[in-house]
Amino acid sequence: MINFRIILKVLGLLLLLEGLFMLFAVPFSLYYHDPDLFPILISSGISIVTGGLTWIFFIKAPSNFGRREGYIIVVFTWIIFSFFGSLPFVLSREIPNFTDAFFETMSGFTTTGASILNDIESMSHGLLLWRSMTQWLGGMGIIVLSIAILPILGIGGMQLFVAEVPGPTPDKLHPRIKATASRLWGIYIIFTGVEAILLLFGDMNLFDAINHSFTTMATGGYSTKQASIAYYTSPYIQYVITFFMFLAGTNFTLSYFALHFRFRKVWKNEEFRFYVGLLLGITSIVSMVLYFTENLSVEGSFRNAVFQVVSIVTTTGFVTADYSRWVPFLWVIILMLMFTGGSAGSTGGSIKMMRLLLLLKNSWLELKRMIHPNAVLPARFNHRSVSTQIISNIMAFIIFYLLITVFGVIVISFLGYDLDSSFGAVAATLGNIGPGIGAVGPAENYSHIPAFGKWFLSFLMLMGRLELFTVLVIFSPSFWKK
Amino acid sequence: MKIKSMRIIIGGAGEVGTHLARILSNENHDIVVIDPDEEKLHSIDSSLDVMVKVGSAASIELLEESGIKKADLFIAVATSEHTNITAAILGKRLGAKITVARIDNNEYHKGSNIELFRSLGIDYLIYPEKIASREIIGLLRKTGTTEFFDFTGGMLSLFVLKLEKEALIINKTLQEVTQNESTLNYRAVAITRNGETIIPRGSDKFELYDTIYVVSNKAGLKDVMRYSGKQYYGIKNLMILGGSRIGELTALRLENEYQIKLIEIDKAKSIQLADILENTLVINGDGRDVDLLNSEGLQNMDAFIAVTGNSEANILSCQLARKMGVKKTIAEVENIEYINLAENMGIDTIINKKLITASRISRFTMSAQVSMIKCLTGTDAEALEFIVKPDSKITKGSLQDINFPKDALVGGIIRGKTSFIATGKSRVEANDRVVVFALPSAIHKIESFF
Repeated sequence: MINFRIILKVLGLLLLLEGLFMLFAVPFSLYYHDPDLFPILISSGISIVTGGLTWIFFIKAPSNFGRREGYIIVVFTWIIFSFFGSLPFVLSREIPNFTDAFFETMSGFTTTGASILNDIESMSHGLLLWRSMTQWLGGMGIIVLSIAILPILGIGGMQLFVAEVPGPTPDKLHPRIKATASRLWGIYIIFTGVEAILLLFGDMNLFDAINHSFTTMATGGYSTKQASIAYYTSPYIQYVITFFMFLAGTNFTLSYFALHFRFRKVWKNEEFRFYVGLLLGITSIVSMVLYFTENLSVEGSFRNAVFQVVSIVTTTGFVTADYSRWVPFLWVIILMLMFTGGSAGSTGGSIKMMRLLLLLKNSWLELKRMIHPNAVLPARFNHRSVSTQIISNIMAFIIFYLLITVFGVIVISFLGYDLDSSFGAVAATLGNIGPGIGAVGPAENYSHIPAFGKWFLSFLMLMGRLELFTVLVIFSPSFWKK
Repeated sequence: MKIKSMRIIIGGAGEVGTHLARILSNENHDIVVIDPDEEKLHSIDSSLDVMVKVGSAASIELLEESGIKKADLFIAVATSEHTNITAAILGKRLGAKITVARIDNNEYHKGSNIELFRSLGIDYLIYPEKIASREIIGLLRKTGTTEFFDFTGGMLSLFVLKLEKEALIINKTLQEVTQNESTLNYRAVAITRNGETIIPRGSDKFELYDTIYVVSNKAGLKDVMRYSGKQYYGIKNLMILGGSRIGELTALRLENEYQIKLIEIDKAKSIQLADILENTLVINGDGRDVDLLNSEGLQNMDAFIAVTGNSEANILSCQLARKMGVKKTIAEVENIEYINLAENMGIDTIINKKLITASRISRFTMSAQVSMIKCLTGTDAEALEFIVKPDSKITKGSLQDINFPKDALVGGIIRGKTSFIATGKSRVEANDRVVVFALPSAIHKIESFF
């Protein structure tokens, strides 16, 4: 039977942690003398008290939990974080509508970056920092962070880690899950710091540099500017952000190896090669077409192309150009790229390179199997044959992904949107990208979507971030059977 | 003091390897498990906080990837002894501090051969079947007890006894039992009841069918037996069911002392056994056949040992032997889940290779002050013997004053040539040897006291 006392105990503790993280926004509020100081302090207080009391009330519950408790904890952590995370926006009345605030926060934690804000520059600095911070926390994972810093998640942490970390097979950097989690967060923090420093050299101010590095490394895409990165005309800033989006979309395990000078391991990784190959291939096509169709220099076409392709493939969702105004051939490519996603074990969302690669390989082998019916032809990944169990898991994932997309498009079109917009909105939220096309394109936002649509899209974002299965499994009857 | 976690690589995810991975990872060590069987690893990976690697434990690349260079302990427990030998030698050369190999070959365990292996780089050889057969032999010599264990040459012993109707102490508290004694020669350090182990305090009562763990010195032995309603009896006739390696080794050691009948189902194996065992009567037959057991005189046996590869058959045939009036029954049960069940059915002693082997190996993970460790069947608790360093925390006051963890108990103290049972007022001195009984939650807490 599912033990709800353990679940409440862990959720309480995590909520307390969220309250503490909100306090990071306080120095910025103070420095800029913005009116958001008290709303942030009150929200933090509410989270700390609610979380702390729940934790203390259930502190006697044992800390070992099983698979089912693990799934419930992960899903509800994300929901509760978004709920309490939206308090600063609501209390400060800068996003007065609760539905809007919840959508904005869920879009933050899931690193989607779909916004309902019509005038980002008018927001208070503390709130903007909290908005970027939601992405940063959600990027590497709330649970992964908790495993790294909280001692109580020791043994049960395993169950949670598997449920939250993206990719079909999470690799461990260290025998202990806690040590693995701290190493991942370590690299994440280092990369974020380095990016912030590099952006400072490019004439970005400290506040914007911190915000943008938070949202780049999380492949989130929240900007402090309404025009996103297009606001910064400096090619240097755009290239720096492109590079870090690329890093954020790479498997962090590989970054760990690279930081330890084990480059051979990085380059030998098939997924990495596929990722780099795909980016280079599509970028060259897009830049060529841009050069001939838009009034741009060679460097300008390349820069716009590489930025946009990397931004969409890694599911970041920053924009330097309104790609929905490009020739149809290009925006259709961009739309299709929304179904690729970063590497497994990165902060990117969507289907992910590893799944696509294995699906392609296996489908290709299917042709060979027709000619040699008795041949043993396992799909290989990094020179190792992949078990049929993993292949079937990947197939199921992709089928669910496409079915949910179809269902989502139908739901959004019911609200009165055309095919482009419905498709763009669903692909961009389920894939945790942010800007879609049409009515939710890069120059637009999600504020005009009716309340029901916002709740529905919030749910898609959550499903996308937790890789479908973690959320879907809770709705399956066998989950609740004894 | 925080206990430093060790880096341990386990080669082989068989029963011993898996069990070791479980207990060692729960003790906060960094564990890597290597095995060629992906499915086995998958089930370990999803239930334990360890890292798994698919492949052979004797693969140099894999060992390096698993961090053999910094490994404190490398345990090779794959099914094939050749893999284990190769793996342990390689492991040592690649940087592992201590290497242990499971080797199921009696010849290799002989004195000078152990030296040979040590020079090759294998520090310890482990032979689970041999350890199990030694355990059985010890039990046959100390009839009446379920399990026993000697500390430092028998100056203190740990007895495990099951309380039956004849026991005098049933429904008495610990205090009532000991109040008439002038000097304490024994003490109950733990009680297992319905699968749960408690450390008893003065007011706790003994109940029927409790399994009690008693630390006693030589003088207390008689009293322990009297109070628990047990008595010694000599063994003359012994029946062993199953010519497995445990059965064979046990028979080989005992065949000149006792009358032994060994029943083995496989014909070829029986012939082979008859060749090795000159003074044992080897019978080729099915141990599940009641008529066969009866015609071979099961009812006249003093002890019955079931060590076939099949745990269920072992449990059931021991049950049968008990019904027929055999006083001492020992069953090999390899499914850990069955152990409590089998104990409740009244079988005297359960032997489990995994637990025995794991208890041997986990000794290497304890600090240098631990000189012996014994994992007990039917409970998670462990009995440990510590050597007390000068100025360690435990010497700083009488036992009731030093905040010793509640989930552990000092059972006895060996000082020079004398030994005595500890009470709250006892003080421990430097260079004493101390016998401690600890629940798993306490094991790391108590290490800081020594």
